[in-house]
Amino acid sequence: MQIIKKTNLKGYKKALELGPGGIIDLLLRKNVTGRGGAGFPTGKKWEMVYQAKADKKYIICNADEGEPGTFKDKFIFLNNPEAVIEGILIAAHTIKTKNAIIYLRGEYEYLKDKIQGVINRVCKKLNSKVKIEIYLGAGAYVCGDETAIMESIENQRGHPRFKPPYPTIEGLYGKPTIINNVETFANVSLALAFDDYDSTLRLYSLSGNVSSPGIYELHYGIKMSDLVKLGKPKNKVKAIFFGCFGGCLPYSELPLTNENVCGQDCMLGANTIIVVDEKQSMVDVTTNIAKFYEFESCGKCTPCREGSMRVLALLQNISLGEATKKDFETLKELTEVIKESSFCGLGQTSMNHIITAIKYFEKEFLDKLK
Amino acid sequence: MFLLDKLRKAQDKDGFISEREFKRISKETGIPLAKVYGTATFYSMFHTKPQGKYIIEICNSPSCYVNGSLNIIKFIEKELGIKSNQTTKDGKFSLHICSCIGCCDQAPAMLLNKKVHGNLTKTKIKEIFKQCK
Repeated sequence: MQIIKKTNLKGYKKALELGPGGIIDLLLRKNVTGRGGAGFPTGKKWEMVYQAKADKKYIICNADEGEPGTFKDKFIFLNNPEAVIEGILIAAHTIKTKNAIIYLRGEYEYLKDKIQGVINRVCKKLNSKVKIEIYLGAGAYVCGDETAIMESIENQRGHPRFKPPYPTIEGLYGKPTIINNVETFANVSLALAFDDYDSTLRLYSLSGNVSSPGIYELHYGIKMSDLVKLGKPKNKVKAIFFGCFGGCLPYSELPLTNENVCGQDCMLGANTIIVVDEKQSMVDVTTNIAKFYEFESCGKCTPCREGSMRVLALLQNISLGEATKKDFETLKELTEVIKESSFCGLGQTSMNHIITAIKYFEKEFLDKLK
Repeated sequence: MFLLDKLRKAQDKDGFISEREFKRISKETGIPLAKVYGTATFYSMFHTKPQGKYIIEICNSPSCYVNGSLNIIKFIEKELGIKSNQTTKDGKFSLHICSCIGCCDQAPAMLLNKKVHGNLTKTKIKEIFKQCK
């Protein structure tokens, strides 16, 4: 696996030789992109922060891996934490800052001491004056949003902010901020350290109805069926969910690229694949995910806060066989309204699983209606 | 100063964040009491009511759900005689159904006093409970 290759801090040494402009060029040339889901070119993000004029700049490593079915960042922290810390130090060197924060999800508290040990060791070895602090979250899915993380660090409720301005201009404490995912920082180190760095490799978090769940490193664009087969499904596979937010697709040989997946009204995100077999009811799985969103809605905007409650109630009624055709139509309308009018990414994507489940498995819903 | 750290320390000491601790933190940080409380209650891992000696946070997100987490949750509820967000009368166990804990490769999974227990079965749960003295 490329992601667990030890760089022996070669990436940082290369960064010192290259200087800020050279680092940014190399990241662009080697096509390093954000691995949190959006896929934004890392070099471009860093360049914006580099060019922003400010007395203080910040770096945040987003380790609030909250998307259900995703556990790749945990895997990286367990197997190659040095690469992550090195990546953060490279970012700090690029934008000339001494302030970096790792926002680690509260559920991963047991990783904190290990990561702190690596920070101490790496910073000492490189004689770095950068202060990397670990901030522990406390259980809020919405804090995976880059601006909600900043609110949380600033001692507020983790409500997302309106964008623009983007964090590259006005981020933490209103200062230009690089915020990248754990996997992205690890990839920065790898890209700088190795000439044969392959930017098309991705980490897939595979779970659900499979006998061999786990993290698989494979090329971008792998066929859905090839990936799922690696997990050795227990029964005939019906569908896959791209986490909670990415919607679902019927099991097929579709190559998993952003274009293909988006074209089917889904989102590939951080390559989270939850396998669902034919023994599962799509109505029940969808209801389970709706419960997740009802619980995790931060309450800031009305469509998401109130809508997620109504949607859950409608789905539970369908699940119990107590809903009418009219209820089903209301559900469909509501999902579109919430998708279109929610404030942040959480709300806007919170209906994808229902919209796609109805699109591809409508019969299962109709069979449950009165 | 990171407020969440202060709240966590208070909770680690008492198992929950008491009114006295809220007031102390507010005074210490200069953040109004209502705001400290408002921030704490936003995060699902903070508790404002006394908790049991053993806190169970069991995942019911899709990877665990399709692997039968609901049966495990029902079993725990029956064994302990409590529902989610409740504590047993003897103050030993508190139960919380939670969102994904990132242990989807060990589904169904739970945290028991922050430690991961995965691939849960009814037998395994019984064994774990037996070791909770």
